[in-house]
Amino acid sequence: MLEITDVTVTYGAVRALENVSLTVPAGAVTAVIGANGAGKSTLMRTIAGLVKPASGSVALNGEGITNLRPEDIVRAGVVLVPEGRSTIPELTVDENLDLGGLWRDKAARKASKDEACELFPILADRRRSRADTLSGGERQQLAIGRALMCAPTCLLLDEPSLGLAPLIVTQILELVRRLSVEANLAVLLVEQNAVTALRVASHGVVLNLGRVVMEGPAEQIAAHDELRHAYLGY
Amino acid sequence: MTAFFDYLLGGIGSGAVIALLAIALVLTWRSTRIVNFAQVGQAMATTFVALAVRDASGSWVLGLAAALVAGAILGLIVQALILKPVRRMDTSGAIIATFGVLISLQAAAAMIWGGSPQPFGPPIANAGLEVFGHVWPISWYDILIIAVTALLVIGLGLLLTRTSVGLAMRASAFNPEVARLSGVRVGRMLGLGWAIAGVVGAVAGVLIAPSATLAPNSFDIFLVFAFTAAVLGGLDSLVGAVFFGVGTGVVLSLVTGYSDSSSAPVVVLVLLAVSLILKPEGLFGRGKARAV
Repeated sequence: MLEITDVTVTYGAVRALENVSLTVPAGAVTAVIGANGAGKSTLMRTIAGLVKPASGSVALNGEGITNLRPEDIVRAGVVLVPEGRSTIPELTVDENLDLGGLWRDKAARKASKDEACELFPILADRRRSRADTLSGGERQQLAIGRALMCAPTCLLLDEPSLGLAPLIVTQILELVRRLSVEANLAVLLVEQNAVTALRVASHGVVLNLGRVVMEGPAEQIAAHDELRHAYLGY
Repeated sequence: MTAFFDYLLGGIGSGAVIALLAIALVLTWRSTRIVNFAQVGQAMATTFVALAVRDASGSWVLGLAAALVAGAILGLIVQALILKPVRRMDTSGAIIATFGVLISLQAAAAMIWGGSPQPFGPPIANAGLEVFGHVWPISWYDILIIAVTALLVIGLGLLLTRTSVGLAMRASAFNPEVARLSGVRVGRMLGLGWAIAGVVGAVAGVLIAPSATLAPNSFDIFLVFAFTAAVLGGLDSLVGAVFFGVGTGVVLSLVTGYSDSSSAPVVVLVLLAVSLILKPEGLFGRGKARAV
């Protein structure tokens, strides 16, 4: 379980996040939705340690991780797949996968790799291809596969649907949902596309201008007409 | 025609040394996107260390070993103490800072070891080998240089492409944020890149010394040659650095042979200028590709 408590992030005079608190339980997908500039990516980057909060704390299963360096947060079990299919184009599919969890022992990494390849068979088929020869959907699978190589207890997905065909998005997110249940993974999914996100999530959090304006069961948020009009614009 | 082959062969040994320095430049460029103009200064300082240890112990090999250690430490110091803080402000500032390091190292070397050139002879015969009644312009020492260069290139290639550390180093160079988010200690990897570059530069320094004598600024011209080779090779490629490093040595030897040694550096500079005009992506190719 990941707990974010009273996190405030400022960029100069701008408050990107203001007293944001939320809980991401294991074994389920929690979706953070909101318009452009709501602070979704900032939230993710803060949890991952790339941005340091002005105040507030982040804890994984009771252990504080707020002041750890990004690489140590990964080693603690919180792994971010950043926006924009974050593979390294110059490396092969295999190397991109191997990059995740290099600090773990060989046998454990081999097991993780087999699991990742089972989940995303395309990765096994394209082992020796450079990552930039993959399609957008394949690269997103590779990025998630690499995150799984780090043996996460909490997976952070920042806008995985960006620029992908709706059918592929549905497939990937359905796999993520299944994974969260089977591996008892706490998944935090950030999405601009609220409909898709709320379909796989059990819990939803609506962010607007850096504040949590609503949270609750996903179906409840999906059905909330006023909220949709006010914050999500559809 | 014999003269042509003599000049050609004669350039390979010095070309191998230029290749080593070029490799050092490529390694720092790959790990931190900084052209380290202090590389020759570091090589000069570590060669003075080698000279001191050799004179004290009487062993050339011990001198070389001391230079390697000093090279790694100096590489780490330059990266951690000077470039890391400067870089936080801006990248071109960091490149200018490497010039500052070069000048400081030369001033410090002049204070410690004096400004006059000191001889630093080769450990083995540096006279042309006589085979089939012809004295070839290549010595056992040249063969040693070529062998050391070849071994280093192969070793570095294997390290970078076949090991976990190498993968972490390459990933840290290509995309530090993604590497960090995969759990790689990127800061350490960048430091390691500079340390290895320092070691390679130290080897180059000790190997150059017999042909240049040792003074605080006697390696400067090799910076021009090595930079040219590294740029022609695209700055990112070890193989490119070796190919054009040896090529630069051969061109120098041919120009020196057919005209005189004073025009050789000019020819290399002209080559650099022409290549940058015709193919500027040799220098900035990766940057452009990545900006898209």
